[in-house]
Amino acid sequence: MTLELSRQEADRHKPKGGLRAIISRPEIGPIGVMILLFGMLGYFSIPAAETTWNPFAGEGFNALGIRNNLRVISQLGIIALGAGLLIIAGEFDLSIGSMIGFAGACMAMTLRWGFSIIVPYLSFEGGAHLEFYTLFHIPDVSPSLAIFITLCFTLTFGWIQGFIIVRSGLPSFIVTLGGLFFLRGLTEVSLRSFNHRPDQSKGATTVTEIPDLKNLINLPGHGEMEREAAKYLPEADLISIVKGLPAETITKITERLEYTFQRVAGAKTDLMIAKGVKPLERALENALESNNEFMVKTIQEKITNFKIEAVVPKSVTDVDIARAYIDTISTVQPIADFFGGNILESIFDWLYFPIDWNTNNFGNQFAPGLYSCVMIWVILSLFCYIVLSKTQVGNWIYSTGGNLSAAQANGVPTNKVKISLFVFSAFCATLFATCQVFEVNTSDAAKGNLKELEAIAAAVIGGIVMTGGFGTVLGIIVGAFIFGLAKEAFFYIPGIDGSFYRVFLGFVIIASALLNENIRKRIMGNI
Amino acid sequence: MVSSTAQPLIETHDLVKKFGSFTALNGVSLKVFPGEVHALLGDNGAGKSTLIKALSGVHQPTSGKIFVEGKETRFNSPRDASEVGIGTVYQDLALNALTSVTRNFFLGREMKFGKGPFGILKMNQMHDIAINEMAKIGIKIEDPEQPVGTMSGGQRQTLAIARAIYFGAKVLILDEPTSALGQLQQMEVLKTIKKVKQLGHIAIILITHNEIHARLVADRYTFISLGEVIGSGTSKDLKGDDIRRLMAGGAEVGDLAKELA
Ligand SMILES: Nc1ncnc2c1ncn2[C@@H]1O[C@H](COP(=O)(O)OP(=O)(O)OP(=O)(O)O)[C@@H](O)[C@H]1O
Ligand SMILES: [Mg+2]
Repeated sequence: MTLELSRQEADRHKPKGGLRAIISRPEIGPIGVMILLFGMLGYFSIPAAETTWNPFAGEGFNALGIRNNLRVISQLGIIALGAGLLIIAGEFDLSIGSMIGFAGACMAMTLRWGFSIIVPYLSFEGGAHLEFYTLFHIPDVSPSLAIFITLCFTLTFGWIQGFIIVRSGLPSFIVTLGGLFFLRGLTEVSLRSFNHRPDQSKGATTVTEIPDLKNLINLPGHGEMEREAAKYLPEADLISIVKGLPAETITKITERLEYTFQRVAGAKTDLMIAKGVKPLERALENALESNNEFMVKTIQEKITNFKIEAVVPKSVTDVDIARAYIDTISTVQPIADFFGGNILESIFDWLYFPIDWNTNNFGNQFAPGLYSCVMIWVILSLFCYIVLSKTQVGNWIYSTGGNLSAAQANGVPTNKVKISLFVFSAFCATLFATCQVFEVNTSDAAKGNLKELEAIAAAVIGGIVMTGGFGTVLGIIVGAFIFGLAKEAFFYIPGIDGSFYRVFLGFVIIASALLNENIRKRIMGNI
Repeated sequence: MVSSTAQPLIETHDLVKKFGSFTALNGVSLKVFPGEVHALLGDNGAGKSTLIKALSGVHQPTSGKIFVEGKETRFNSPRDASEVGIGTVYQDLALNALTSVTRNFFLGREMKFGKGPFGILKMNQMHDIAINEMAKIGIKIEDPEQPVGTMSGGQRQTLAIARAIYFGAKVLILDEPTSALGQLQQMEVLKTIKKVKQLGHIAIILITHNEIHARLVADRYTFISLGEVIGSGTSKDLKGDDIRRLMAGGAEVGDLAKELA
């Protein structure tokens, strides 16, 4: 008998190289779905009349399409990071949506009416009743102070939830479900009770008429005012602003305005030609059908000879220059602009003039830039990526969710890890709300409804295992893309109910969960 | 090798542990010497795991004393115990199957650039150390990024042992390291234990239900039954029959064998 013992345990692991290594990455499935959705969105959004192989020709990927899609994706992405990291550590947060509503309301209210601390006390003068003593009142709250105040509330609440969960050992599902109701209720109650100002309809659960802070500018000679208001100052004022500008600036603005007016005029001419030719083309079709050769010939001639006087571009006036200049003045509220403004504006400008891609059907610039929340998402993703895969905390997060007792036995402060992640989840929800409030300058008690489930869904689609311990930041990013793209892609499929995207997502969620579980089992082995 | 005159690395004196009205340990005394494998044997529920949990700081003894290198010591947490050099490899190994060899090797004690928990991991350095340390006690790992879940049971044991030693364990406590393994892997673990013994300065406490395994590596035995020591001795003093009888809590296995026949 001979024994062949040269084979070692290590030999059983086939070395993974090249393609195999790529295919066995956990994110590969979701990335495939994402590319599919990109394709769908691209092709289905191409207008029916055009035939092209370029998926970027459609509405889904024109400048405005990209701006809007990325906004939806990045908003979801922000909260999916908070939810995802928490799930990796083995816990859930169902209070994200309500936290968004609460944070938005808190921020909007402090921006609108200021911040005060009021102490209720029992007074016996003229019968026992409650009196309120205003400890202090800050009437004008700056954006950064409003964010700070809101964070104080939301992070504390996140901490309390985490504390209750690790101390009591209760499932986070229950505790944060309580948080979900508590916060939504608290938001509605506080909005109704503070909305008693004469300038608000009584008991409304919305806050409106917050000044457009990100567009607050300091106009020389006029002080601080909103950009739109500045543009509609009396013309004499506007002209006098131009007088004060350096010649160089004026030439630059004029050059650009001339370009715009030309494009607008060109677009108008094209539109008129199209309008004039369309009936003729229809007549031509009829003529072709009825085989009336004479008619076909005359109509064809008419079409080729169809001429219309080109629209003359408007000439650039000082008022135009002043308004264009007002658009370029930078804000006096950089914090509000950081969260609610636009980014990459100069690139989108350049894509309009001279590249002429970011141009709408009327010849004007299409998108001013991307929403700031995209930048916030990118920064947050980078931060989470580094923390999760490159730092000690990352290893702690994985082990807390992967094997809690093992983590504890090795001295990992698992309670601190969990509580911090509940706080981080609240932080992400607050970021979401901050971007929204500064973008639209309103808030509503219903904001963020169901967002917690969307965030969890995005995380699951991105390969996060619900039992914890497994998943990557790249996966969460892909999950947010899939969720955001699905909605848009299905919207453009001709002759299909837009809500089919939910059917599709339902399918994707279950498929991803099955796939994730399969990967997890494969890694766990059989012990 | 077996030198009763040397100072024991760890020693317990009349250790008592009660869980409410239940007495899990009823006055256990034990001496463990460096460079020796001390087998802790006894039936299910005898109190072996409870004893080592007291030694590793998981349980606080109700009464009795623990000496480490002659000094009386109290452990309030597993941290305290590992600080004085007591490394425990639990039955569940305290590994996170979903992450890599290296991440497990350094779990809770990661090497990093900069201070604080947000320090960036020195991944390459940790990979090298993990591979080298495991090679020292006999297992060659190809890929330090391999998830622990995909390793064999024997490899996992080795990982847990290598980790304990690297982080300064002078007393290595192994709770049934071979129980969940197949024949070949059991031998692998025993080889690992021998290698650790050869290092010379480490005392090993080995809990096992397998007499053959105990005889293969142990230098000294302590038998526990119903929370008390019912016998002890060196491998020279004890014969196979004694060991089998004491392991079963003093019952005559020979009689049992007759009954079963
Ligand atoms: N935390 C605890 N609370 C109450 N009783 C416990 C606790 N831990 C152990 N016991 C009891 O103490 C006794 C000894 O348990 P222990 O785990 O030490 O046995 P063991 O010798 O390790 O057995 P095995 O060989 O089956 O692992 C058992 O009866 C057990 O039920
Ligand atoms: Mg036991």
